[in-house]
Amino acid sequence: MGYLNNAVVTVDAILTTKGRELLARNDSSFQITQFALADDEIDYTLYNPNHPSGSAYYGEAIDNMPLLEAFPSELQIMKFKLTTLPRGTAKMPVLDLGYAAITLKQGAQLAITPQTLNYLGNDQVFETSGYSATLGDVRLTNTFAGQGIQTESAISANANATETLGTNVSKTVIGTQFNITATTVNTLFGSNSQLRTTLTVTGLDSGARITIPVTITQQSLTLTA
Amino acid sequence: MAFKRLDPEDFVVSSNSVTSTVWSNNTPSLNTYFTSSTQKEGTSGPYYLNVYQTASDSDSAAVQFQIAYGNKNGGGGVNFDSAVPNVSATTTIYGQYRTLVLEDENANFIWGTTQTGSANGDNDFYVISPERARYKQTLFPGSLNLSIKSANGVATNTFIELTDNSNMVALPTYYGTQRAYQIISGSDGVSYDGSLGYDTLVGSYGLFLPDISTILLSAYALDQNSATMGINLATVQTADTFGDNPTLLYDAISSSIAPNLPTSGNVFELNSQETLTSDFVFIRARNSEYNYTENPSFISGSTGEVIFPYFINNPQTFPTTIGLYNDSNDLLAVAKLSRPIQKDFTKEALVRVKLDF
Repeated sequence: MGYLNNAVVTVDAILTTKGRELLARNDSSFQITQFALADDEIDYTLYNPNHPSGSAYYGEAIDNMPLLEAFPSELQIMKFKLTTLPRGTAKMPVLDLGYAAITLKQGAQLAITPQTLNYLGNDQVFETSGYSATLGDVRLTNTFAGQGIQTESAISANANATETLGTNVSKTVIGTQFNITATTVNTLFGSNSQLRTTLTVTGLDSGARITIPVTITQQSLTLTA
Repeated sequence: MAFKRLDPEDFVVSSNSVTSTVWSNNTPSLNTYFTSSTQKEGTSGPYYLNVYQTASDSDSAAVQFQIAYGNKNGGGGVNFDSAVPNVSATTTIYGQYRTLVLEDENANFIWGTTQTGSANGDNDFYVISPERARYKQTLFPGSLNLSIKSANGVATNTFIELTDNSNMVALPTYYGTQRAYQIISGSDGVSYDGSLGYDTLVGSYGLFLPDISTILLSAYALDQNSATMGINLATVQTADTFGDNPTLLYDAISSSIAPNLPTSGNVFELNSQETLTSDFVFIRARNSEYNYTENPSFISGSTGEVIFPYFINNPQTFPTTIGLYNDSNDLLAVAKLSRPIQKDFTKEALVRVKLDF
């Protein structure tokens, strides 16, 4: 029989960089409507199901670990989300983008269609709510758009996704397919021949997450499978 | 599912009042006072005097408050134009506060119940304005304790302690939309003997205006002798004359910490008040929720198998972080727990997240 832990823990929240940006917009985009839990910092290899003192001590090495304070960068926190799955799940959902890394030359286009493996007994490989994709530095693309999800919130999210006038900010879009067109702005490169950022894709139903590097270069398009 | 929608009852808005001292380094009482000759002799000198907590050329020097002097007839200041009498920097200060406080160009400041000051109609006052960086919202009524002593040798050790009367009145006086309390002789918001705290024939010592963080001190009251509860400040009201009255009050405040005074006289205490509005968001994780994780150490290999077979039917997670999102899945705010919470199919979690604005 389960028991209800009714001890209320109070924690102070900080705004993320994205939160400050949306708050400054002074529109309806700063509206908290949902939450997620994450276990960043936890190393589950420390969990010991063979502890000689019994099951009460399996999580001994994790239970009282000190935690770091929150980072304001939305890209560096909430990396590993907790998810709700049926009891007896033996395999966790895993995302497959088809690429381990992306390298695009200036102006080149690429469409990415994520798939989720091990989700809902492999009945489907596309998540119903779609995926969110976050590009770490939106300056590196001329277009970065999501498509395939027609819910009101997804359409609104994509329509109001961050645009930049030259500031290094992230951009998050929602969809089942993501279209990227690399930037044609030469001045961004400066004396460098390449620009780099990351693409993080998260399954909105499964919580599965994958991050791959994105490189924009003046070389011809190469994709690493 | 990784995201869970919040219900309307998960949000609670709460407002709390927070008070703190207005002086640098959270010093409860300002005990040392310095001015800047550069500022005093500059273009702002005729209008106000900056007061620092340390020597103005020190790296840690910060303006604590300003002293200004306003006179309805321009006395104590040099006329801007010799062809236009009775219009000086003190007139400007007077008009500034008359508009700000009284909102009526024909009104006079009233100290106490009916007194407007000296018979010649100067209706003059000193202004103490705490520097904006020292407080966040308003001054805290009842926190003012200011000792002043005549420093010009006119009086013999004349010394008074001033406070506002906020703890003696049920309701403040209102000027427009702002509160005003009378400044009286006493401490911590009350007079010493339960009386009004000032001579009714002279009027109060001024007005404490918490909403604009301003203290007005009646020059007429301070110029009285000890028989009528003044300190013989000897405000210069002569027309077309630089009276340097802010320095006069500055000397009266700074000299009040002279060693021959009572220990209790060594004070300029003033607190500010801020209303903090907090959003509380209740995060509820049911027993069947959030028992698996996408943490890479929870998974063995690249195909997604959980790391321990034990986790297949008895998964354990240790949430450390709560993310608050909008409909677009933008991470708006984040909260970290002080230690991991163990979560499994037999446990539920309830966390209250506080968002301050």
